[in-house]
Amino acid sequence: MLLTFLGRFHPVLVHLPIGILLIAAVFYVLSLREKYKATQQAVSIALLLGMLSAVASCVTGYLLSISGDYDTDMVSTHKWMGFAVAAVAIVAYFLHTRKSNAVKWVMGLMTMLLFITGHSGGSLTHGADYLTKSVSATVEKKERKPIANVQEAVLYTDVVQPILEEKCYSCHNAAKQKGGLRLDGAEWIGKGGKQGAVVVTGNAEESELIKRVLLPKQHEDHMPPKEKPQLTEKEVALLHWWINAGLSYDKKVKDLSPTEKIKPVLLSLQSAAPGAPKAKPQLPEDAVTKADAGAVEKLSDRGVVVLPVAQNSHYLMANFVTVQDLKAADMELLLPVKKQLVWLKLRNQPVNDAMLATIAQCKTITRLDLSNTKITDEGLAQLKQLPNLQTLHLVGTPVTAKGLLQLKDIKTLQDVYIYQSAVDKNSYATLKAAFPKATIDTGGYNVPTLTGDTTEYTRPRKSRTGCSRNRFRVHIYFTVTPAAFSIRLCNSKFFTNGFKSPDPGPNMASST
Amino acid sequence: MTQKELHNERLAAEARQKELQFCTRRHFLKESAMGFGALALGSLLGSCGNNMGMTSPPAFDAAHPLAPRMPFFPAKARSVIYLHMAGAPSQLELFDYPELAKLNGQDCPPSLLEGKKFAFIRGVPKMLGPQANFKQHGNSGLWVSDYLPHFSSIVDDVSIIKSVTTDQFNHAPAQLLMHTGSARLGRPSIGSWVTYGLGTENQNLPGFVVLTSGGNNPDAGKSVWGSGFLPSVYQGVQCRSEGDPVLFINDPKGIDRDLRKASIDAINKVNQEQYKEFNDPEILSRISQYEMAYKMQISVPEVMNINDEPEYIREMYGAQPGKGSFANNVLLARKLVEKGVRFVQLFDWGWDSHGTGADTAVDIGLVNKCRQVDKAMTALILDLKQRGLLDETLVIWGGEFGRTPMQENRDGKEMPFKGRDHHAEAFSMWMAGGGVKGGTTYGETDEIGYSITSGKTDAFDIQATILNQLGFDHEKFTYEFQGRPFRLTDVGGKVMTDILV
Repeated sequence: MLLTFLGRFHPVLVHLPIGILLIAAVFYVLSLREKYKATQQAVSIALLLGMLSAVASCVTGYLLSISGDYDTDMVSTHKWMGFAVAAVAIVAYFLHTRKSNAVKWVMGLMTMLLFITGHSGGSLTHGADYLTKSVSATVEKKERKPIANVQEAVLYTDVVQPILEEKCYSCHNAAKQKGGLRLDGAEWIGKGGKQGAVVVTGNAEESELIKRVLLPKQHEDHMPPKEKPQLTEKEVALLHWWINAGLSYDKKVKDLSPTEKIKPVLLSLQSAAPGAPKAKPQLPEDAVTKADAGAVEKLSDRGVVVLPVAQNSHYLMANFVTVQDLKAADMELLLPVKKQLVWLKLRNQPVNDAMLATIAQCKTITRLDLSNTKITDEGLAQLKQLPNLQTLHLVGTPVTAKGLLQLKDIKTLQDVYIYQSAVDKNSYATLKAAFPKATIDTGGYNVPTLTGDTTEYTRPRKSRTGCSRNRFRVHIYFTVTPAAFSIRLCNSKFFTNGFKSPDPGPNMASST
Repeated sequence: MTQKELHNERLAAEARQKELQFCTRRHFLKESAMGFGALALGSLLGSCGNNMGMTSPPAFDAAHPLAPRMPFFPAKARSVIYLHMAGAPSQLELFDYPELAKLNGQDCPPSLLEGKKFAFIRGVPKMLGPQANFKQHGNSGLWVSDYLPHFSSIVDDVSIIKSVTTDQFNHAPAQLLMHTGSARLGRPSIGSWVTYGLGTENQNLPGFVVLTSGGNNPDAGKSVWGSGFLPSVYQGVQCRSEGDPVLFINDPKGIDRDLRKASIDAINKVNQEQYKEFNDPEILSRISQYEMAYKMQISVPEVMNINDEPEYIREMYGAQPGKGSFANNVLLARKLVEKGVRFVQLFDWGWDSHGTGADTAVDIGLVNKCRQVDKAMTALILDLKQRGLLDETLVIWGGEFGRTPMQENRDGKEMPFKGRDHHAEAFSMWMAGGGVKGGTTYGETDEIGYSITSGKTDAFDIQATILNQLGFDHEKFTYEFQGRPFRLTDVGGKVMTDILV
């Protein structure tokens, strides 16, 4: 026990020899020059201190290694390297005090060994890919890829494994097995750790994995350790269900008959609920230079609201909402900022086809609002030249389907609004086929007037208080509070304390 | 020297004399001591500020307080329409479909009452099953009751948050908390924060408009759209959907538009002089408010007139010109947003279903309240959608708290009508548009709708999400007041990324 305790000091102590021996090496190199000759004495002191701390590190490190939480191969490399550092440091010290010439070789060797040992130690604690990971972090830390259809997904590989990989693997993998546990594969999960099994098939409440995760964060056994990224409520719910549904490693979600409770969680993993708007890249990825201040000012003076889309971006949005007496010359004002202009609103302005020719030169535009303007099919043809157009508002314009079809080569187009335009109802199908990737909103929605909308109730409303849903079901749910964790059989909560159990029969007491 | 010049010179001399009177020996001592100290302190503080680059709060430009400003990051939503049902609608009759029915009429178990405080419930109340019939709707299969037959047709466009909670169980503090981030008076409302941060795109209209219906203002009074410690130019401008949209908007008899302009110019000139002397930004706010009022005299009656909307649109909303109704207000909200107004705040009063009378019974009055809003709010979503505005307009619907699954027993007696007491622990809200994922629910309550089992969401989370959609990091969007930076979300709030696209 005491030995393990001492071993825990290793991570603190190791920094001493690294720092001190390095500075000894630096002073030694300096002392070779006449100007810094005085540092010679410091080298001896530094080597002595470094040597002692290296020995101390070796001792504590050895004690830590016998706890066995680490990959044996990696530990043994690190161990022998550490011993070598200490040994070489001792040699260096004695050689230096005897003013031997060989000391420079020994010092060089020592420095090299220091780097290697330090690196192998770092790999042990932070994982072998720690160094490279931070470099490619931006690429790797992308969000978990949304699942196209969660029903078809394999529960373990598509849902569970990514969670474990993100939150557990760093300490429970091939290289490092805290508590003797590996979680990076079916056989290892089944095998468990030093303290036995971590999962009980079909019984999440009894599974150590779930129990530990749900312990209060301050608790010693809480997993992941409180300084590491924690599992979210959703992730816990998913692991919980995975265990309860039979700990399958190959079955698809749909074959495991998801419970009511887990359905919304599963659904949220899907890329988007049906009918939901798609996420679209907001801005072009390429950086752009700042717009000419004079050009922006000219637009502002004309009453155009023009400003960057965000504080860290030079891309501009422009809104003509308060411009009066729009003229063709006003459009020309946009040209100096055409590289920056992404969102343009001309709603309710007398924009005509000639002006569109100018707008068509602003190739970075992604959102263009031409609702209630005077543009026609002829003008629309010019917009073919906008390769980045995503959203196009044509509400209340005299454009027709023919005009719209001219734009079918714009691959980026996502939303087109043609409510109250001259597009013929019969051509909706043609448009849909021509723009398979875009949503074309034809509008004309109706909210029918029901009798209820204009009448008032004066007497209590009749209702079936009985429900179409399964009436008596035992849910298991859990609440995580800072103070304590409890798993409750929820119905039991309400029906103990002298509370009558409800009649499970079909004739429920009605409230009416 | 003419008579006039002489006169002006005398005036100027008098003004100088007056000015000197302000400047006493005490002033000199104070200002020189403070001045040097402040200089030193200023440079010291300036160098250790943490307002780096894009995270710095927008600088307040007193001369153009409502000029449009850019957000921290590209915004999903450019405007907000917040529909607040003042009085707190019952989640148990609308969205949160609980298995409460089977407990109807039974005594409330002590486990639910221990350590709990209610506004009116005393002793042991009875459980009250939902008075509505629930069904799943849309592709997403969200549960909505037949109290909202229209709304149930657009569930695929909204995200219902079933796990909102608050720590206030009285109307006024709970409303303040929802809108200002504090249950106590004095903080700016969310609309004020937003217009402070973003300004507004249409300088002829106020950036933050408030419309009320239901016969009363919300219980918390006008402080729910107040500007708190922010410059007063950011407070909500209350407009009416009945009569003149803004009181005294027309020029009085005998004053024509030119004379009005001349007098405002004169007043502003005096104020400008005043500002030069005292440097009080509130004076600049006042100047810009005069100017805005002058412009609004033309533009507001124009935009606030729903007569020029086609008949089928008015029909869609159920709006009737000339009446002060929620439907009219919702239609106005759409018109305002279309014109570039940043934040439109609606309050509809009368949702406090205690069951003290027929109008507050959950099976009578609540049905009628639902009927007053259902068609209009459905029309709002659909109309915004067909105009291509839903993508950039965030719509929020909710009350200040929820209602108990127990029947209210005021003073421990049985009540003539079925009602529910205030319930702070769990209630529902919904959001739509502005980058919110449609057809989703967020969070869950236990099967009687009493407490939250997952996805706990408080007022700060809602506010953080609204700010996020407008392009703000709620943790960095601050205003310096009384020596420390203040946030709308105080020290709380997390963006509800699960409901966002």
